[in-house]
Amino acid sequence: MEIDIRAAARLRGSAGAQAAVRPIVEALCGSDADLATVRVVCDWIQYKANFRETAMVRPVLAADDTVAGVTGAAAGACELAVDLRRCAQPETDVAAEVTAAILDTNPDRVWLEPWAPSSASCLWRFNALFWQALVDWEKATGREYEQTLPGGASDARNPGAATDTILDLFKIWDELASRRALPEQLYVLELGVGNGGQARTWLDQFVELDRRHGRDYYQRLHYLMGDYSAHVLDRARAEVGHHGDHVSGLVLDATRLSGTVGFLSGKAFLVYISNVYDNLPSDEVATIRGRVYLVQARSFVPGGAADEIAARFGLRRPELAQLTQRLLRIGPELLAESVPEKFPDTGQAVLFWQAVWAALRQAERYVPLEGLDTYPIAPGLTGEILRSLLAAEGDIRMHVSNGALASFADTLPLLHPFGRVVCHDLFTTGAGEYRSGFHGPGKYDGSVVNWVNGPLLQQLASRRGYDVRFSPFKQRPGSHVTTLTAAVRD
Amino acid sequence: MSNGPLLRHLLPTTVVGSYSVPQWLERLKTEYYQRRISAAHLAEIHEVAIKAAIKDQEQAGIDIVSDGELRRDNDIDYFLARIPGVLIERRAKTDYYDYLEAEVAAELPADDKESLGLAADYAFTSGLTDRPVKFSFTGPFSLSRRISGAPAYRDPADLVRALARRLNLEARSLAAAGAGFLQIDEPFLAGYPEQAELAVEAVNIVTDGVPVTWALHVCYGNRHARPSWEGHYDFLFPAVLAARVDQLVLEFARKGLDDLNLIKEYGWPYQLGLGVIDVKSPAVETPALVAERIRRAAEYVDPGRLMVNPDCGLRHLAPEVARCKLRAMVTGAAIVRTELGLPDR
Repeated sequence: MEIDIRAAARLRGSAGAQAAVRPIVEALCGSDADLATVRVVCDWIQYKANFRETAMVRPVLAADDTVAGVTGAAAGACELAVDLRRCAQPETDVAAEVTAAILDTNPDRVWLEPWAPSSASCLWRFNALFWQALVDWEKATGREYEQTLPGGASDARNPGAATDTILDLFKIWDELASRRALPEQLYVLELGVGNGGQARTWLDQFVELDRRHGRDYYQRLHYLMGDYSAHVLDRARAEVGHHGDHVSGLVLDATRLSGTVGFLSGKAFLVYISNVYDNLPSDEVATIRGRVYLVQARSFVPGGAADEIAARFGLRRPELAQLTQRLLRIGPELLAESVPEKFPDTGQAVLFWQAVWAALRQAERYVPLEGLDTYPIAPGLTGEILRSLLAAEGDIRMHVSNGALASFADTLPLLHPFGRVVCHDLFTTGAGEYRSGFHGPGKYDGSVVNWVNGPLLQQLASRRGYDVRFSPFKQRPGSHVTTLTAAVRD
Repeated sequence: MSNGPLLRHLLPTTVVGSYSVPQWLERLKTEYYQRRISAAHLAEIHEVAIKAAIKDQEQAGIDIVSDGELRRDNDIDYFLARIPGVLIERRAKTDYYDYLEAEVAAELPADDKESLGLAADYAFTSGLTDRPVKFSFTGPFSLSRRISGAPAYRDPADLVRALARRLNLEARSLAAAGAGFLQIDEPFLAGYPEQAELAVEAVNIVTDGVPVTWALHVCYGNRHARPSWEGHYDFLFPAVLAARVDQLVLEFARKGLDDLNLIKEYGWPYQLGLGVIDVKSPAVETPALVAERIRRAAEYVDPGRLMVNPDCGLRHLAPEVARCKLRAMVTGAAIVRTELGLPDR
């Protein structure tokens, strides 16, 4: 039996966590589980709102039973996943949680979807809905999204960060101008504009610094704001209205940029991305005893919570999954219109949404990947790109960051030869970090938060001739935010 | 310089040099640097890949084929790593395509006759096909740009000339091995337009006394399938008129045909290798588009002086895309040949 305590630092600092290890082992020894094939993985899940139960069993399949023709995909082994943070709490009966997880072969759950790779799970549709129907969500909570962020404000409002990037651009433009190679239009693209705070801060700062610099670059500047949410974009447009024609807004999918901003190819001097990648769908892969597996997930609402939600909204239990799917398809406003007897107004539909979201959990299992090259990660990218990271790290589980990779891969070609991508987000900066910490997914208000596999983005960039550097987000010391900078190599 | 026997029929088709590097080969090349496979195994793998590349070109109908430069990691390292006097302290790489860091501590030995091995590479390729072979190598100017320090050469131009003399020796070996069509690639020249005269002077040192058909390829870079520079070929003129070469090989498919004006305006008297395939885009051109590009070029250059080729090497294209592009190029050339009332072959 293997016991992998990833939360090693937490273990050292928490007597409760140390005390929890023994009942885990005892519960396993008291069960019929084949201990030789059991792996125990102890994470410290720092997100209080998350998708995990205190203890859960993840089967390790011998073959993918979702592939046509494959039958008898019996579990070759299993993994017991434990949240050490909750186990460390005195009120948690660790042995009971573990025993229940091991013995409960047919748990009382309302399944919301079939098994699928994590990136295809409905939790990402919940996430997308949050941004699409943000105005409804905010109305129901009475708080704007920014107020839920740490410190109550987005990192994007930081004038210091804006000054640094603007002065860097001035240096590049001065150099190009001296060689008569400065393009007529100077493009800057921001992906994920939030409420427009970053754009406003950056542009206001630009005007001021440009005035001092004396080259009138502002006349040539075109600032493009791209966001998935039309509502967010409208709010951002209002925020930067005083910059007139220098700003344009585009509704776009950050993972498919070439279709909307392909015209910028080779022209963007700066692509600024703040806290977008952690919010894009991601798979997870794992190497277990030398074999590579894809994590499949399946969302559910625990039976007890399902009964409570059903009672609150006057539903029969089977209607829960059906109405959730409908909500994800048409949003709360239309859901209220289509089922007025259950949801008399949009606000009630949002409350239903919030209740399901709060109760949402995910079961997981490991399905073998027969060949990395047969695993499509993003358009034009296969699992081959994972090979060296997986080979270097032994048994490890990591994010594939499919959405971030797709977005990043589509962003790089937009860069002018002297352009750069500046991205503030939650990045792992070494594959080994997955050994020592939990990096998502967690819930953040109505959205998903998931760390981005930085070394994987670095690998992609390197293969395409770009250097990627990570540095601490210097405008907010101590935060988990890291700055990724990508620029042409050679 | 020789007018050579290569234009046996109108609008012959050829490649610029490199051929599609499949993902599996990239992986194996990198694994060599990670000590997972031996040099001997990698050499065998290269030979098999070259055979396949030649077969692909033959099946596509290419008249003058190449070895696809499949032994080379990139456009620089294969040469610098073999030239006596060039120092490369660290030969390990994270990715095979990365450039090595090279230095020249003392002047390159003038009397060193050690072969760089290019003649053997040519002999291997020519033994695999009945078709004429184009053999390309990177020119002295571009090689010099990847040498980070050369304190022995106060004037950097002298390093370029020294590299040119070394390449001249290699060209003589290639000619002695039977090579009839050699191409000098200068992928970095577009980034240093003010150095065109020096680059041409060095080209003439390379070609001196080597009686083969010589081509000079100048593009805007193809590193990672991206142009490294932008601009127009006007920087080449009039300096390139002094180059003792038979053919200029230029890119037109990606950049458009505007620069054909320069060929006419400056009266370039020899052949033109006309780039009709965009190697930076995976979109496969139609034969009709290729034919249209050739027709447009024929308005500026006598068709009897045109050779049809892609803009640059095909290394970044997926194998199937490369094959389709070559087939489209061959078919497009055939369309124009037929229109001109000439036999297809």
